[in-house]
Amino acid sequence: MWRIRLLDHLVQAATWMAGGLLILTIVAVFYYLLAESRYAFTRKFPYGFRIALQSPDSEYRDEVSMDPTASLLATHREGTDELDDAEDATRLPPHEELASMQSLVTATAQTSDPAQLRADELFRDCMRAPKTAEQGERFLLLAFAMPSYTGKTMELAWEPDVAFEPEFAPYEFRLRLLRAPKGISIEPIEINLNQQPRGRITLPVWKAHSQQEWLNGYLFELEARPTTTTTVATLQQFFKPDWAPTILYARFGMLPLLLSTLLITLLAITFATPLGLAAAVYLSEQASPRIREWFKPILEILAAIPTVVLGYFGVVLVAPALQKLFGEALQLTSGRGLLATALMMTVFILPTVISLSEDALRAVPNSLREGAEALGLTLAECVRLILLPAAKSGLIAAVLLAIARVMGETMIVWILSGGTPVMPDFSSPSAALATLVKPTRAIPDTIAIEMGNVEFESPHYGHLFLLGLTLFVLTLFINLLGFAYRKRAQLQF
Amino acid sequence: MMTAAVATPAKTAIRTEGLSVSYNGKPALKSVNIEFYENTVTALIGPSGCGKSTLLRALNRMNDRIPDAVTQGKVFVNGINIYDRGVNLTRLRREVGMVFQKPNPFPMTIFENVALGPRLHYGLRGRALEEVVEDALRKAALWDEVKDDLKKKSGLALSGGQQQRLCIARMLAVQPRILLMDEPCSALDPISTQKIEELIVELGKQYTVIVVTHNLQQAARISQYTGFLMYGELIEWGETRQLFERPQRQETEDYIRGRFG
Ligand SMILES: Nc1ncnc2c1ncn2[C@@H]1O[C@H](COP(=O)(O)OP(=O)(O)O)[C@@H](O)[C@H]1O
Ligand SMILES: [Mg+2]
Repeated sequence: MWRIRLLDHLVQAATWMAGGLLILTIVAVFYYLLAESRYAFTRKFPYGFRIALQSPDSEYRDEVSMDPTASLLATHREGTDELDDAEDATRLPPHEELASMQSLVTATAQTSDPAQLRADELFRDCMRAPKTAEQGERFLLLAFAMPSYTGKTMELAWEPDVAFEPEFAPYEFRLRLLRAPKGISIEPIEINLNQQPRGRITLPVWKAHSQQEWLNGYLFELEARPTTTTTVATLQQFFKPDWAPTILYARFGMLPLLLSTLLITLLAITFATPLGLAAAVYLSEQASPRIREWFKPILEILAAIPTVVLGYFGVVLVAPALQKLFGEALQLTSGRGLLATALMMTVFILPTVISLSEDALRAVPNSLREGAEALGLTLAECVRLILLPAAKSGLIAAVLLAIARVMGETMIVWILSGGTPVMPDFSSPSAALATLVKPTRAIPDTIAIEMGNVEFESPHYGHLFLLGLTLFVLTLFINLLGFAYRKRAQLQF
Repeated sequence: MMTAAVATPAKTAIRTEGLSVSYNGKPALKSVNIEFYENTVTALIGPSGCGKSTLLRALNRMNDRIPDAVTQGKVFVNGINIYDRGVNLTRLRREVGMVFQKPNPFPMTIFENVALGPRLHYGLRGRALEEVVEDALRKAALWDEVKDDLKKKSGLALSGGQQQRLCIARMLAVQPRILLMDEPCSALDPISTQKIEELIVELGKQYTVIVVTHNLQQAARISQYTGFLMYGELIEWGETRQLFERPQRQETEDYIRGRFG
């Protein structure tokens, strides 16, 4: 007797331990994701503008960034400080030498205080260390002509540095004229570079006749004024539509990845739900016990196919078929993309949908089927009017659990997505088709691809964890909803 | 105590001829010949497992649901053998309604439970449908209890007795002429049982009612005719009073006097 009781106690203890372990795991995963994603919030927000003084007929009018005389005012060199810059940057040569090279000059200094300007401490470019969202920055810029310049006017032209987009930096950028040269009367100039990221203003010509006179030229200031805190900025940027974490002006907008995950899931569930439901109805209401005996193990085998196999199956069969179908119209180099991924996801999730839906239908008591039949309902009417509504909670639970599984499934997207983050575009039928068939990049494969190469505890690393956290919260929420529906289904009868 | 009066036998509504049913080759009903009259309540009694439900379910071909069941013999409803090929099951079940031992309302509102049949079978909508539903609920003596939240309350939210009357209303709404009831009170409390019994007596005036019961007193209270089954055989059948007071066969006598099971 006592032995049996001991056994009961042991079983109970094991049950509690297993449950506790499960909850502990969830909490631990959540905590870990949260803890590691804090490195996302150590990120800096680099920016850079190219500014050049040009003659009105300059060949670089529309591409300031190509102009060899342009100055780059930027904060993108990780790990440098102002002293390093002074050593690294190229100093402007002496007056005569410079005059032999170019007739219009922009020059910048390490200082941001006009009183500290010194003619022998001027540089073509100024690059400072990247800033957090709270840190402002000021750059000084001198602009003047050489005596040899013959034009009647000159123009200060600016544009964002290559691959920099002002909307990905949480600053308000202003270019303003601090001081015009003596003897030149000109309206005050202040330009908001966020609103006008590229442009040009005409200036009266002013010539410097000696190196010392450089300092008397037009004195501009580029100011970057913080608009928010790093935390807010990081989160704001996280929901922007561009993911390019490794370029100079890194972008951590995960919207394309999230939308891709959602689209793949939507497509896969749209394919799998009707198919799975039909199969489940057939199995639970129509199939003879013998067919069911055959079908169930087949389902289990299908559900047990490793996802890597499904992925390569997709590469070998589905992607080439899609390429054949759409290759010419869309100039595809491979059929990998959203649709290929969604199709294999359908195969991946179908056994689960069928199995769970069949369970849901079987949970409907037989007495309802008898009641329906005694009332003269045909099988189809019984399914439509009685069984599906009665099993609704269980069926919703099945679909929700399937959604959560598709969202988190990594291998299939990794192999089949094509690995290119793009924003879905449904503005026209051809754009929609391209969105569906062309390569994409979702959240799980992004984590899988990038985690291997990322610098440990860098902002990029933190952002990958932020992605993981997003996925985890999404799937956890959907799973919980699914369990709630399952609970409801169990309590119903 | 109410006692059902014996009416002069009316027309036959159902007649079986050599009706046998076996499950997996094991006979559960052996060559039964019985008649059920119009506007009469017939009770089927007998020990548990003797084939009462099997007989009842053979009368509207509910045994078709069971893959292992094999039925032989004939059942005439309005002169047509329902086991003939080409018989329309939907029509048969519109004609022959059924109520089960355990109330089985559908998981939908009270109104929907009752409206489902007539909407499907007769295409009724709107006012006409509501009238049929009200009429069925009134006949099932449920109207007064549910009329206020007809379209709000789920059929599952009713008490057991109310659920059973809802199932009776659901059956009546498709306008059958023959009602099959398989131990309709066995899952209910005494007060609900009494209500259903009164209802059966009332329905017996307009319908051919066949009630399976294992409760002899109940059979005596509600029926004009009774059939007694044992081991799958119809031992005897006839007017209830006669069967209870002057049984023809020893088995019947033993069973009624409580000398059996
Ligand atoms: N679905 C079935 N499969 C196999 N045997 C059954 C089935 N239903 C009933 N039986 C058997 O048929 C016999 C008669 O059952 P039933 O008609 O339910 O009896 P009753 O309703 O009088 O208690 C019993 O021996 C029972 O075990
Ligand atoms: Mg029975």
